[in-house]
Formats: sequence, structure tokens, C-alpha cells
Amino acid sequence: MTASVETKTGTGRVVRVIGPVVDAEFPRDAMPGIFHALTVEVTLAEGAKVLTLEVAQHLGDNMVRAISMQPTDGLVRGAPVADTGEPISVPVGDVTKGHVFNVIGDCLNLKEGEKLEVSDRWPIHRDPPAFADLEPKTEMLETGIKVLDLLAPYVKGGKIGLFGGAGVGKTVLIQEMIIRVARNFGGTSVFAGVGERTREGNDLILEMGETNVLPQTALVFGQMDEPPGTRLRIALAALTMAEYFRDVQKQEVLLFIDNIFRFTQAGSEVSTLLGRMPSAVGYQPTLADEMGELQERITSVRGRAITSMQAIFVPADDYTDPAPHTAFTFLDATTNLERSISDKGIYPAVDPLASSSRILAPEYVGPEHYAVATEVKRILQRYKDLQDIIAILGMDELSEEDKITVGRARRIERFLSQNTYAATAFTGMEGSFVPVKDTVEAFKKISEGEFDSYPEQAFFMCGGLDDLERNAAKLRE
Amino acid sequence: MPASVRVLRRRIQATRSTKKITKAMELVATSRIAKAQDRVAASRPYSAAITDVLTALASNANIDHPLLQPRPRVRRAGVLVITSDRGLCGGYNANAIRTAEQLIARLREDGKQVMLYVVGRKGVTYYRFRNRPIESNWTGFSEQPTFADARPIAETLIAAFVAGADDVDDPEGGDHPGGADEVLGVDELHIVHTQFRNLMTQTPVANFLAPMQVEEAEEEEHGPLPAYEFEPDPDALLDALLPKYINTRIYAALIDAAASESAARRKAMKAATDNAEEMIGNLTRQMNSARQAAITQEISEIVGGANALAAAGSEV
Repeated sequence: MTASVETKTGTGRVVRVIGPVVDAEFPRDAMPGIFHALTVEVTLAEGAKVLTLEVAQHLGDNMVRAISMQPTDGLVRGAPVADTGEPISVPVGDVTKGHVFNVIGDCLNLKEGEKLEVSDRWPIHRDPPAFADLEPKTEMLETGIKVLDLLAPYVKGGKIGLFGGAGVGKTVLIQEMIIRVARNFGGTSVFAGVGERTREGNDLILEMGETNVLPQTALVFGQMDEPPGTRLRIALAALTMAEYFRDVQKQEVLLFIDNIFRFTQAGSEVSTLLGRMPSAVGYQPTLADEMGELQERITSVRGRAITSMQAIFVPADDYTDPAPHTAFTFLDATTNLERSISDKGIYPAVDPLASSSRILAPEYVGPEHYAVATEVKRILQRYKDLQDIIAILGMDELSEEDKITVGRARRIERFLSQNTYAATAFTGMEGSFVPVKDTVEAFKKISEGEFDSYPEQAFFMCGGLDDLERNAAKLRE
Repeated sequence: MPASVRVLRRRIQATRSTKKITKAMELVATSRIAKAQDRVAASRPYSAAITDVLTALASNANIDHPLLQPRPRVRRAGVLVITSDRGLCGGYNANAIRTAEQLIARLREDGKQVMLYVVGRKGVTYYRFRNRPIESNWTGFSEQPTFADARPIAETLIAAFVAGADDVDDPEGGDHPGGADEVLGVDELHIVHTQFRNLMTQTPVANFLAPMQVEEAEEEEHGPLPAYEFEPDPDALLDALLPKYINTRIYAALIDAAASESAARRKAMKAATDNAEEMIGNLTRQMNSARQAAITQEISEIVGGANALAAAGSEV
């Protein structure tokens, strides 16, 4: 493609509309490029509005196939389509902080008379950083949540995935991390709401306003009421803003994405309409490619980190489903939320055996932390192995050693729950922050049997060992 | 979940094997209860007779036999705990041991030292695991005890009782750990075993074994005692008969415990078989739905693919 062709913008007309997918015909010498944004005006009863489309395919015969970023109600064949000559772009820089955007970069929370002074816009399609620029250093990110710090420590500047089925607490945990990490964080945060509940976005903005992190945060929303085109591109829009803070302003950035699965789902919704053959489990054949393009851009380059936390919905609690599985491989730390644990009332419902982290190794977290984490996992694994025996034969048939192991495992299981800030409204309990050192010490003592005589209930929903002692004293009364 | 069909099938298989074992053990235990009950019945005439004779003797002889004399100060008590050799009998052992622990705690509160005598491997492991010293233990016959098995137990206990806890008064004991007679004796003997009430209930009980309490014989319902003439003299007879009586008491406890053990095992194995059956049912249902889900998915993929191809074909 030569420069002269790129600058040439033409006007075409709509040929066909199938849901979010629009075919348009252009003059032979003014074909829009792939990913270019097209605009088309639609007149509805309540007035005219401008739709933005993004070119996805060239069909031949001067036709392009584009995906709409808005509902295509009222669009008719023959309507004139204008080529903007460039991809969809979003405002970047300090102006984005404290504001809420949609996928085409319109600000949604302007006050009466307020006007956004946009100095710079970046296209949402960009190349990932070069391999040579990637950050080689590894450092742990302390969250103050016992189960995460101990068994799946988060990586500063790394990618963290929160997996879970419907309603096990992914969004609550994401919000908890925003409260915990963003509050004490010097840099900028970017939040991308991808295809989740609209109410949650509202709650989040109010919550951020209260805790005063909003002026340091840019929010981008394309929730579940938006067409698939929006949900497919919204994560890229947020990421572009984050990249600007990283590359131009040289800042540390926190990027929250809730929920990556909706991105995949949106891709699948348009895939067949684009004429691609469905692949495994009905997903788009380009699943791995799409995910890779997104994930490869979320990286830390020398000294400037994007730490990202992504909630990933697991359809039907099936981790082998291609959508969560594709996201899995890109992550540094994975936190698996498990229904059977949330059923027991243990929150955060993290599966201690399935969650893992690249840095849970002695050279990163230190030999003691590693040893304690391994021992805790061993005890829990043994308990899990014994569960069938207990179900059939009963506790009495276990050997003396196993009885003790089971007792400790049940205490550890309960001690892995914790009171959180995000759930204060539900539990009536203020959240607790437990330093890693205390966490490691507490679990070391429990797995060595120091608290075997404490009632199991005392271990429930508490922070550090002080809380445990207090609960136990209360129960003894 | 296509991957989990295999996992579920394996778990069903494993549960099914467990069920086979528990079912077999249930049947074995059922047949053993009957045998054990027969044995209890068979031992009854002898123990009744020896009790009668002893009662008669006691009313004739001077009651100052060591086995009948309560010691003025009880310094150490011996506790015989009867447990089973093998597991898979529900709460049988746990209950017996709990009763024993309660007894021991009570004895300790009264300022008595406690010495443990244990029958059955489960009891031995329990105390060994907790590093509690066991004075003597006997294993290998808990399910089908014989009179010969009871004898060494009785001999050991009587020896310890006769020796008495004389070392306690002299804690230094010179060079002899067991006091002057070099035997670690006891002043009291208790026995903890499980009483067979019926097929559903067995209760652990703690009884006094020695010194024996002599109840002043009231006028019995079955008339006055026959006027025996004793040869040799009553005291010598008492000497010979009392150990035999203790023997009988221990044997009775052993066979009672054996019947209880079998009954407890039958109950536990019945529950286990039922649990296994339920689990197989649940797992089978899960597996079927997983399998059906996989089939449905494959069909919809094929149909979806074919449709997409057809649509693409018609367009060109």
C-alpha cells in the first residue's frame, strides 16, 4: 500500500446490513484500508446520529465488509459511507484521567459546559513492543490477601488472570484489587469494562470517586448492552490509553480488564457473519490470533510497567473451554475462583491447588515462603485425596496421621478466607491487609500444628493471627 | 466437559471396587456376629457356676484375700482397654478409646498414676502415636478370642495387682525401678470394653476388675445357699478360684467386645456400601451428562460448520 493510496479518502454506499456487519461499496480508486474507520449517518425518529464502522475484510468487486461500533438500527442500503482514512482513535494523555470513554473515544461523563481539550489521539491498533525492549526483572506485588500472596503471588508489571464461572466473585475481586492496589499506587490506572453488567461500571465510578482514585484513573466502557463490534475493540481502546502513559509519560500503569472472555465472545459473534467457519466449540477460527494481538501489547518495557489484572469468565466452569484456555498461556499468575469453594462460603473463593504463579519459586519469593506454600498445598492435596474415603467410610477409618492432616487442612481452608474491603457492605466487616511476612508465618504455624486445638470456626473470615486469637477467645466464651 | 468423562469413569470404577470390598466385609461381619453371640451364650453357664461357687466360698471363708481387699491408698491404677485389631468398624475403637480416656482422666484427677494394658492393634497404634507408654499389649485375636487368649492377660494383670504399687512411695526406688519387688504393680484394675446390646447399639463401658467388691449376700431369691463342705479348706480354694474368676471376667469382656466389633463393622460397612452406591449414582449421572454434552457439542459444531459452508457457497 503506497502513501498516496492511504491518504485518499472516498465515499461509498451501504450494500448490505446483517446485524453488526455492514457491507459497503467504494469507488475502485478509493478503497478504505483494513481497520480504517468509516462513518455513516443514520436518521431515526429521535434524530440523526453517526455510526462508526471498522473495515474487517475486502470482499473483492470494490466491496468491503465492516463491523459496526453502534447498533445498526435505521441503517439502509444505499446510505453514503465516508472513509475517515485512519483507524478508530482515542484521546490519550492526562486529559483522559478522571473521565469515562466509549470505544470511539467520546467522553461520557462531561459535566454541563465542560469540554475536553484533546491534544493527542492514538489509533487503537498498534504494534506490540519489540522483544528486545521487554522488562527482564521480576518483583512480587504485595496484595495483602493471604491466599494470593501465599499461593499465587502477583508479579509487578506482569499479567494476572482471575478465572471463574458465573457469580463466584471475579468482579468483586477485581474491585478489591482496585481498592487495594490503586489506592496506594503512584501511577495511573486504566479500567476497561468489557461486556459486563452496566450497573457494575456505575458502582465502580462512584466507589472510585469516594476513595479519590478517580482523578488518577481513566475508564473505558463497552458493556453488555453494546453491539459486539464495541466489545471487540473496547479492550484495545483502553490498552492504547495505558500504552501512552507507559511510552510517552514513562509512568507505571495498572490496567484492569473485566472481562476478557467477553472480548472473545464478541469476536465469536461477528466471526460467522464475517463468513468464517466456526472452529472448536463454535468459537472463531482466529481465536488464538485475536487473543495474542491483545495480550502481546499488554507488557512491561524496560523500567515502565503495565501491571494488568484480567477477569476471565469460564463458561460452565469448564477450564478446558478454548476461550479461557487461550488466555491462560499469556499470564504470569492465575487465580482460579472455584464454585465449590464459594458454596462453602469461603471468600475470596480461590482454589488454592489450581491457582499458580510463575514467581512461586524460591529465587523470587524466598525459600521460607516457598517451603510454606508447598507444605500448605501438600496438606490440602492430601485432604482432597482423602475426601472419597471420608465420604464412603467416614472419618474414623483414617489413620492417626491422616486425621491430623485433615484437621489442619480444614483449618487452612478456612484461614484462606479473608474479610475484604469490597465486601464490607455484605459482611459488615472492614477489610484487612496482611503483610506477606505475617501470612507466611501464620501458615507455617498452622501447618506445624500450633493451632490444632483452636476451633475451626475461629479461622473463618479473618486477617492475621491477631484476628484468629480474638475469634478463638470470643468462641471460648 | 469432554476431558472429565474419562476422569469420572475412573472414579466410578474405583468406587465400585471399594463397594465390592465393603459389601463383602459386611457379609463376613454379619456371619461373625452370630458366632460371637453363640460364644457369649456358651460361656454363660461356666461363669454363672463360678460366680455361684465364689459366692458360697466368700460367705464361708475369711475375706482377706488380696484380690478382695481394697487397698487403703490407691497409688496407681491399671486400665485394660479392649479394641479391635483391624479398622473399618466405624466408631467402635474411637468410642472405646474415648471411654478409656475419660476413665484415665478421672483416675488422674484422683491423684492416681495410670498404667495401660491394651488389647487390639488399633488401641496400640493410638497410644504409640501419642507416645504414651503401654505396659503390655496383646494383639491378633480381637475378632475371635479364645479362653487361651484371655489367660496370659489375666496372669499379667493379677501379677501386677498382687505386687502392688509399692514403688510409688519410694520414688527413688534405689536401683530397682519397680520398688522392692521389682515389679511395676498397681493397686486397682479397670477394664474398658464394648458391651453388645443389640445389632444396632453397642456401648463402651468401664468396669472395676480388682479388687473385687464383695457384696454382702442378701437372702437370695433362689433360697439359701447349699451347705458345701470344702476340701481343701475355703481359703485355699479361694486362692485357686479367684484368678480363674478374673480370667472368666476378661474372657467374657473379650467375647462381648468381639461381638460388638462385628456388629459395629457390619453397621459401618452397610453405611459405607450405601454411601458408595450413592456416590456411584451421582458420578454416573455426572458422567452421562458430560458425555451427552460432548455429543451435543460435536453435533452442533458439525451442523454449524455445514451451515456456514452452505451459506458461503450460496453467496458466491
